[in-house]
Amino acid sequence: MPEAVKAGTVDRIDFAEVVREHQAMVFSIAYHFLHDRPAAEELAQDVFLQLYRNLGGLESPEHVTHWLRRVTANRCIDVCRRRKLMPRIGLDQIPEPSSPAGVADPLLERRLRQLVASLPEKWRALVILRYQEDLDNEEIAALLEMPVGTVKSQLSRALDLLREKASRFLGEVE
Amino acid sequence: MNRLEDALRGALRREEPPAGFAGRVLAAAQGRDQQRAVSRWWFFRQSPRLRWAAAFAAVVLLAGGGIEYRHQQRAKAERAKDQLMLALRITGSKLRLVQERIRWIEEAPMER
Repeated sequence: MPEAVKAGTVDRIDFAEVVREHQAMVFSIAYHFLHDRPAAEELAQDVFLQLYRNLGGLESPEHVTHWLRRVTANRCIDVCRRRKLMPRIGLDQIPEPSSPAGVADPLLERRLRQLVASLPEKWRALVILRYQEDLDNEEIAALLEMPVGTVKSQLSRALDLLREKASRFLGEVE
Repeated sequence: MNRLEDALRGALRREEPPAGFAGRVLAAAQGRDQQRAVSRWWFFRQSPRLRWAAAFAAVVLLAGGGIEYRHQQRAKAERAKDQLMLALRITGSKLRLVQERIRWIEEAPMER
């Protein structure tokens, strides 16, 4: 964590360190959401520029991380709604392998990412925040300003959908 | 934890952005700073209230400058007039002196 951020004062000089520290997180949320590297890079850049304008209001490293996750997730949802990106990859368009594969299989990982990118945007945000950022239901609820129960039920439904679609190439998923 | 969740954690692990990303963000932030400075000037030019204030200030400055210039010119003219009067006085006194001298020279031989 950058020294000045640790000290609780995020100023203009530290912005470079904040970008380097969090660029993988912001870019990955956007990339897993949009499944489009140039669009993810553009969105991540916009998020950091928004952060740059709001540096004065952030008080701690945790606040910076929380702010970045929240703004990135919400921007991804907005972009999807605006551009109607969601149907770009429909579940039916994803080819299914004929034989089961191991979890470390790059092809499998690619297909899982495609499956995640085909989810409705709110569900997509939940899955990405849960499995990329390793957040629990309470943290996700606070980040997306949703009731914990809603997070729990929607995440469960998203996983059911993914499980159903992925079962053929994951084999037994339970 | 089930196999799907394991697979999701693997598939959704963080990835580094393309090379030079941080540099581009910092350059864009710097560019935005410069743009903001320009837009402040633009705001000044675009805001009717500020524009009128600037015009009023310019008029006041010009009027003040004009009055000051005229005052200086008048003082200069007064000084020139005084100098001229002094010069005329000096010249007059010198002329009188010369005149008296001439008269003295003219009258002197007759007396001698």
